[in-house]
Order: sequence, then C-alpha cells, then structure tokens
Amino acid sequence: MRYFLFALVAFAGPLLAHHSFTMFDMTKKMTVVGTVTSFEWTNPHSYIEIDVPDDKGAVKHWSIEMGSPSILQQSGWKFNSLKKGDKPTLVISPLKNGMPGGFLNTATLPDGRVLGNGPGQGAQ
Amino acid sequence: MSRPMRSTFFSSAILAFALAQLASAQTPPDLTGVWGVYRGGRGGDPKVAPPPAGPLLLKPEYKKPYDERQKLVAEANARGEQLATQGAQCIPYGMPTMMSVAIYPVEFLQTPQQITIITEAFSEVRRVYMNVPQRSFDDVAPGYYGRSVGHWDGDTLVVDTIGLKPSIAGYRSMPHSEKMRITERIRIVAPDYLHDQITIDDPVVLEKPVTYTLAYKRMPKYEMVEFVCDNNREYVDEKGVVRLQTHEK
Repeated sequence: MRYFLFALVAFAGPLLAHHSFTMFDMTKKMTVVGTVTSFEWTNPHSYIEIDVPDDKGAVKHWSIEMGSPSILQQSGWKFNSLKKGDKPTLVISPLKNGMPGGFLNTATLPDGRVLGNGPGQGAQ
Repeated sequence: MSRPMRSTFFSSAILAFALAQLASAQTPPDLTGVWGVYRGGRGGDPKVAPPPAGPLLLKPEYKKPYDERQKLVAEANARGEQLATQGAQCIPYGMPTMMSVAIYPVEFLQTPQQITIITEAFSEVRRVYMNVPQRSFDDVAPGYYGRSVGHWDGDTLVVDTIGLKPSIAGYRSMPHSEKMRITERIRIVAPDYLHDQITIDDPVVLEKPVTYTLAYKRMPKYEMVEFVCDNNREYVDEKGVVRLQTHEK
C-alpha cells in the first residue's frame, strides 16, 4: 500500500494518451453480439463497428471503442484479429448518454480466444 | 625481472589502469534504446521508483484561474463529462508532458553530437544538440519541443530547453509563459533503469521552480509502434465537452 501511494504521488503525466473514460459507464458491463462491418486498427483508438440484431430482428449499429494498436497488442490483438462478417461476442461499458457506443472490455473472437482491451482492461 | 625492468612494468600497468579509469569516466553511458514509463507501484522496486514531486507554487494571479479551472474539470468529471483537452483533439503534448504519456514508451537515439528522443504516443520528436550554446529566448521561435541543448556532467545528461509555446498544456495543466525553461538531469540510476529529473522554471508564472522525476525501464526487444492520429472519433461539443461520434464512418 505504501508503494501504491508513493506511485500516485510520483505520477506526472496523463494516464491516458487521448481522453478519459468519463463518457463511458465503466461500472456497467453489457454483452453485444452481432456482425462486424469493419475493424479499424487506428490511432488514437481502434474501433469495432458492429451490426447488432435485437429480439425482433431489427438491426442497430454500434461503435465500440478500444485502446490504441500499441496498447491492444499487449493484450494479444493484431490488425487482422477481426474482419468484416465476423460474429464476435463483445462485453462493453456503454456510453452514459445512451448513444449506441461503448468501450470494449473483452471480445470473444470467432476462434474462441478471449482478448481484453490493453493492460488493466478486461482479460489479460 | 631486474629491478629497473620491474619498476617500468609496474609504472606502465599503473598508467594503463589510470588511463582506463579516465576513459571510462569520460565515456558517457549509452542511452540508446526504448524505455518504458516506470511508475513503481505495487510490487515495484522502491529503489528505482521516481521520488515524489515537489510542490507546484503558482503566483497568486495564476493560481486563482488555475484552481477555478481544476474545479470545473472535477465538477464535469463528477457529471460524467470530460472537458476538452488538447490530447482529446489529437494535438501533440509537447514538452514536458510528452515525456510521460500513459504507458507509451520513449526511444533515445544517442550520438556524440545529438540525442534524439522519440515518443510513441503521437510520434513526438525532440532533438538535443550536444555541447553547443543555448540561444536567447528572442532567437528561438516558441513551439512544442523548443530548442534543447545538452552536455554530460559525469554520468548525467543535462538538457536545457527553452522556446515552448504558452498554449501547450503544461505540467499538471499549469500555465506557463514564453520564459519557461526546463532543465533535465537524465541518468541511469541502476542497470536498465533511467531517471529524468525535470525542473521547470518560469519567473513569470511560478513562485519558485518545480521539480519532478520520471522513471523508465529498458524495453530491450520492443519495436516502437506507429502512432498517426488519423481516426479521431472524439469531438468537442458546443459546451466544450468531449463526445464520441458513434455512427459508422
């Protein structure tokens, strides 16, 4: 604990490169299952664009934000881990404003692997 | 061995040892390589963790607006909103914040004439010109990285940087003037651990210079990842709040 406090005191830069998690409800986890329309291996964030059908068959489009490629590779992601047409299962923290977007926690890929969203975010 | 011969032999050996010591004293350590931010923390080695930062003492006329802004930021966070920052708009951090961004590493490339520092986040680049005089404030156009000159003080790289734009977000979001001067003392404190002790002096804004230390650990096999900010979905709304654009591009 002493070292933990020490580290907080010593902190001297942004903990996140781009923005905080404030816009997402990080206390909430919801599961999204659908069909990937694009997987964007980009900076400052990567994205999974995904069509999600509801119980009645209507499709809603979601944008799922991830870490940057540098961060993601530490969780085992590659630029081609997902492709258009794949059907992953995503656990996300949704946007607080109710828009169809969220921050990835874990993704179960078509091959069964479960990947997190960088160090400290989801499966490691 | 005769006595004169033995005497010559030992004198030569002592001279060779002294020369070797001198050479090693004059050869600076090689900082070349990739270094990851090391914050210590739980399970970390307290001997190489960064020491606590000194106090940030702003002059009253700067402290008041600074405190008010920090209050607004905290209130927005409590509402679940982030107020606009330069980072959220993909504007590079500049000096000195660029030296410690999240868990992104920095890379040093060292030659006798120049030490180049490249950060992974936003691919920012600093060039430290060795053993040349610093210019005056009037001769350095303010920018994100300023002009850096360096020299070796024993095993410590001393870097002097001036010429930084006041619009760049400062250390702990502090305001700063065009007269800000940053002095760094960069040293390998233990095998594979580097400290960058940063002192910010700004006679316009600060009551007295503020000093803090960043720690790094070598990442011997790491290859730096490209970071071009070409897919920024975050935008700032009319209230100055960061939002995520959710529709498909």
